Amino acid sequence: MLKGKLTSLVLNFLILAVVFVMAFPIVWIVMNSFKEAADINAYPPVFRFDPTLENYKVLFDIADAEASSYGTLKVEFFKPVINSVIISAGAVLLSLIAGVPAGYALARYNFRAKEDLAFFILGFRFAPVLLVIIPMFQFFQAIGLYDSYFGMIWVYQLITLPMIIWLCRSYVEDIPVEIEEAAAICGAKRPQIMLQVVLPLLRPGLVGAALLVFLLAWHNFALGLILTAEKTPVTVALLKLLNPGISFYPVVSAGLVVSMIVPIALIILGQRHLERGLTFGALK
Amino acid sequence: MMREGVNRGRSGRTFLLISLLPAILILGGFILLFFWGFYQSLTDMRFGRARVDFEGLGNYARLFDRGRFWDSISTTTIYAFTAVACEAVLGLAIAKLFNTRTLLAKWCRPVILLPLVLPPLSVALMWTTMMNPETGVLNYFLSFIGINNFGWISKADTAMFAVVFIDVWTFTPFFALIIFAGLRGISPEIIEAGRMNGAKAWGLFFRIELPMVLPYIILAALFRLIDSLNQFDIIFGTTQGGPGNATNVLSISAYFTAFQNLQFGRGAAIMIVNWFVVLVSALVMVKLWRYTRKRVS
Repeated sequence: MLKGKLTSLVLNFLILAVVFVMAFPIVWIVMNSFKEAADINAYPPVFRFDPTLENYKVLFDIADAEASSYGTLKVEFFKPVINSVIISAGAVLLSLIAGVPAGYALARYNFRAKEDLAFFILGFRFAPVLLVIIPMFQFFQAIGLYDSYFGMIWVYQLITLPMIIWLCRSYVEDIPVEIEEAAAICGAKRPQIMLQVVLPLLRPGLVGAALLVFLLAWHNFALGLILTAEKTPVTVALLKLLNPGISFYPVVSAGLVVSMIVPIALIILGQRHLERGLTFGALK
Repeated sequence: MMREGVNRGRSGRTFLLISLLPAILILGGFILLFFWGFYQSLTDMRFGRARVDFEGLGNYARLFDRGRFWDSISTTTIYAFTAVACEAVLGLAIAKLFNTRTLLAKWCRPVILLPLVLPPLSVALMWTTMMNPETGVLNYFLSFIGINNFGWISKADTAMFAVVFIDVWTFTPFFALIIFAGLRGISPEIIEAGRMNGAKAWGLFFRIELPMVLPYIILAALFRLIDSLNQFDIIFGTTQGGPGNATNVLSISAYFTAFQNLQFGRGAAIMIVNWFVVLVSALVMVKLWRYTRKRVS
C-alpha cells in the first residue's frame, strides 16, 4: 500500500515537472510584458515587480510622446493584428467554400484515382513552402498581387485548403450514409441532401476545423515575410520589433503576448476539436 | 447498394465535378508554380535583371562543388533527426505519464497542448529573450547547478543545441498527443492477459505496449521529420543560420540566396535539393511504418 502511495506521489511530481516546463516560458513572457525595461534587463532576473502597462501602450502606439522610455518611436502593432485577422479569416472562409464540397466528394463518391487525389492533397501539408514562394514572388510582383489581402488569402490556401478538405472528409465519413439514403428515397437531389441533411450534421466538425485552420494561418510567417510590405501579419511585425540597436525586449514581450493570446483563446474554445486537428492526418 | 444508386448517372458525375473543381483549380495553381520553380532552378535568373539564360544543371553543379552547401545538407539532417528522436522519446514518456490514473494527469492535460498552438516564430522569439547569455532567465537557472554563461544561440558550438531544444519544446506535445491516443487504443484485456502470464510492469511495456504504439510513433515521426527538414520559422527567429554557419539549414540558405543575394535560380535549386531530402526521408519512414504495422497485426 505504501509503495502504491509513493508511486502516485512520484507520478504526480513528474506531471507537475512537465507542466512547469511547458508553462513556465509562457508565464515568464507574460510577466516580462508587464515589466519596466530596467526590470527586464536586470540580473538576476526579477520575479516580483510593479506591473506597468507601458509596453502595451508603446506597442499600440497610445503612449504619450516623451512619456515612454522609447521616445517617439512608432510601432503601430494594431495594424498587423488586423492584417492577420483579415488574412486568416479570409483564408478560412475561402477554404471552407472550396474545401467542404471537395471533402464531401472524397468521402462519398467512388471514382478512379480517388485515393491518389486524396493522397495528393495530403501531400500539400509537406510542400516546401519556400520553393513555391520564390516563383510566387515574381508572379505577384508582375500581376500586382504583391502586398495585397487578396494575394495573401490566395497563397494561404496552400496551408488551409488541404487541411479543410482532409478534416471535412473524415467528418463526413463519420456520418452514417443511411441518413443520406433515406433522404434520397424521399426524393431529395444531391445538392439538396448536401445542403439540408449533411451540412447541419457537419456543423460542429466544421467549426472545429475552421478554428484549427485559423490557428495555422495565424502561425504562418514565411509567406508574409516575403510577399508583403505593408499588409504584414503579426508574426512578421514581431520580428520587426527586434529593432537592431535598441534593446526592445519589453515591447517584444508585449507583442509576443498579443500574438499568443489568440491561439490560447482558441484552444479554450475548442480543445475537443483541436486535438483531432493538431494530429491532422496522423490520426484520423 | 443505395449509395451506388445515388452516385450513378450523369447528374452524379456533374455534381462530383463541380464539388471538386474549385479545390483542384486552387491547388493546381500551386503545382504550376512548383514546376516553374523547378524551371527557375535550371536558369541563372536574378531578381531585377531581365535577361534569363537557361543553363541546365549549372546551379546544381556549382552548389555541389561548394563545401558550404554540403554543410547545409548535414546541418538540416542533423537538426531534423536529433529533434525528432528526442521528441519521440520524450513524447512517449509524457504520454505514458498522462495515461496514468493520477488526478493531476486528467487536470493538466490541456497544458501540454500549449506549445503546439503558439506561432513557431513567437516561440522562437520568446526563447531568444530567455536565452540571453548575460541576463536571460535560463542562465539564471543554470547558475544554480554551477553552469555559468552558457552560450545558447550566441555561440557557434551551442547554437545547434539551442535551436533543437526549441524545436523539441514546441513539438514534443505532438508526439505525446498521438502516442496517448495509441495507448488509449490498446484493449485492457491484452494488458490483463500479459499480467496473468506473469509479466512485470517493464515487461508489459516493452513486450506489449511499445510494439503496439510503435506504428503511431513512426507515423508521428514521419509528420514531424518532414516539418523539421523544412523548418524555417524557428531558425529564422533565433539565429538566422548563424553564428557563422552553425545553423544554416537548407531553407534558410535558400532564403538568403534568393532574397538577399537575389539569385533566384540558385535559391530555387537549393529548395529543390531540400525537397528531395524530404522526399527520401519520407519514403523511408513510410516503409518503416508499413513494416511495424504489419508486425502488430
